[in-house]
Amino acid sequence: MAVLDEPIKGVPMAKNFIDGEWVESKGEIIDVVNPATYETIGKVGISTKEEIDSAVQAAQAAFHDWRRTPAVARCRYLFRFRELLEENFEEVSRVQTQEHGKCIDESRGETRRGIENVEVSCGIPTLMMGDSSEDIASGIDEYLIRQPLGPFGVIGPFNFPFMIPLWSAPYAVATGNTVIIKPSSEVPFSQTKITELAEEAGFPPGVWNMVHGGRTVVGGMLDHPDIQGITFVGSTPVMRDVIYPGCGKTGKRCIAQGGAANILVIMPDCNVDATIPGLMTSFFGNAGQRCLAGQTLVIVGDDDAFYNEFVEKVTDRAKNIRVGYGLDESVQMGPVRDAQKKESILNYIETGMKEGATLKLDGRKAKEIIGDYPDTCYLGPTIMENVSREMRIVREEIFGPTMGIIRTKTLDDAIEICNESPYHNGHAIFTSNGKAARQFQYDCISGNIGINIGIVAPMAFFPFSGMAGSFLGVLHTQGKEAIRFFTESKVCIHRWL
Amino acid sequence: MNLRTASETLSFIRELEEMAAKFYEDLAGRFPENETDFLAYAKENRKYNKQIQMAYQSVITDAIEGCYAFDLESDNYTFETDLPESASLAEAAAKALAIEGKILDCYTVGAEQSGSLLADVPRNFKIVLRKRNDRLEKLKSLA
Repeated sequence: MAVLDEPIKGVPMAKNFIDGEWVESKGEIIDVVNPATYETIGKVGISTKEEIDSAVQAAQAAFHDWRRTPAVARCRYLFRFRELLEENFEEVSRVQTQEHGKCIDESRGETRRGIENVEVSCGIPTLMMGDSSEDIASGIDEYLIRQPLGPFGVIGPFNFPFMIPLWSAPYAVATGNTVIIKPSSEVPFSQTKITELAEEAGFPPGVWNMVHGGRTVVGGMLDHPDIQGITFVGSTPVMRDVIYPGCGKTGKRCIAQGGAANILVIMPDCNVDATIPGLMTSFFGNAGQRCLAGQTLVIVGDDDAFYNEFVEKVTDRAKNIRVGYGLDESVQMGPVRDAQKKESILNYIETGMKEGATLKLDGRKAKEIIGDYPDTCYLGPTIMENVSREMRIVREEIFGPTMGIIRTKTLDDAIEICNESPYHNGHAIFTSNGKAARQFQYDCISGNIGINIGIVAPMAFFPFSGMAGSFLGVLHTQGKEAIRFFTESKVCIHRWL
Repeated sequence: MNLRTASETLSFIRELEEMAAKFYEDLAGRFPENETDFLAYAKENRKYNKQIQMAYQSVITDAIEGCYAFDLESDNYTFETDLPESASLAEAAAKALAIEGKILDCYTVGAEQSGSLLADVPRNFKIVLRKRNDRLEKLKSLA
């Protein structure tokens, strides 16, 4: 299969978009590297405090008129935006692959998920409706209206450069707020493309802003008194130590989504052939770099024959995964995002082995890379057996294409392992027994529960849930909860004399 | 070549449908008495391509096993479209039936393999299979 055309050409500069203008950052300029080819594909500025302040000022100024724009008119901008995203579906998907490394099927999946959030936010005239009660006392009526608050900050991660900011931004502007998006500076071009389309959709200047950068931009958002709230997706330490306390200090609303170390439970009665592709996607899809990826596989029961046969089948499928540049349509697993992340994953594999795990499949060096590319960011799938629940490779987030296998006697044990984890994002069970599935759903602490689903990614009209070490806040991104997050409930009581 | 990902499999199917469409356009030029039918088949092939592409783009998400949905050997479904200048209508129809057979096999096996994994894509494969019945009957009557 041929490699699809790369959409990013000529080492462009990813500019900021502030108050309807594209402006080059005055901060340090860094390279954006394609992890698959290890070529520099663009540049991005690490914006300064003055630049984020200027974006907030623009967003605050635009808020006055934007909140007065009727919801039906606001949603027409979103309809236009949605059409433009659809028209550019293939290009934006390829941008993700080129800057992040994921396979083209995965990028298209990410594009679809992002667009779905825009589609849901198009229903804002209905979604934003309040409640009312007539005659709460004789002659007195009470009703609730939802009002926007002002500028919001949206801080995105590197692993889903297109989709994740769209869990928040469309809802923020649909409800009458203004928004400043800070993409990961490792992958700035997906959001740059989205912002170009938002500009083409005609959002008034200052409604949709984007500022590239790092800690200074995040700090500027957290400290700024005009920013009403932050949505963040990233690592648990940053979520816990920076974002959540930072929002608390200045009284901002906060949705903070952190890391994960998801556990997938295999019951002996599962449909093995249907389960295995789900495990491949969960553990090795996106090169394991997603907060819903499987990290530990718990196989329940003391049937050695089942265990051995299952592990052999999983290993056989994993070892034949095609690794390479995701723009090659035949590739099933791309590189990890950068060499530093690869190093961290390798360290975890070493740690696992030191703690007693054994390598069933050694992916520390990719067996074969399709195409002539440096192996700087590539790994193969790794499978480790003899893993136990206290090991760091179970309890800490690896964020790479690894699978640690634990055996337990009972489902109760498996659920206990899930509940002991410091993370509770997307645990799952594979079974054909409804009772076992229900017990898992009922007892397992996890924001998202999968039953015969390896990646428990909620659709746009459901909240992207998460618990404990994977989430801090009350309301979640996506759907109705996002509408609640981006609006203030104002209650009015009327008596006419 | 072994096809595994949804992207490469659908690209392959698109090529098959397009090759067959061109074949039918060629037949339309050669056999004016059947021009309408052959041009209609070519148009349908391209419509099927759009239909399946739409199904794929509508359903593809990261919760779905897009990179692991197929295990197709492309060599089993490729075909030649060359037809001698002197070929009769019956010979042309026989060739068309052989091409249709390859395409139908590809859809059938693809639908089985991706049945529980790609939702609307295998469903649309089956719809395309069903829609081709009239065409097959007509080609059989000509062969």
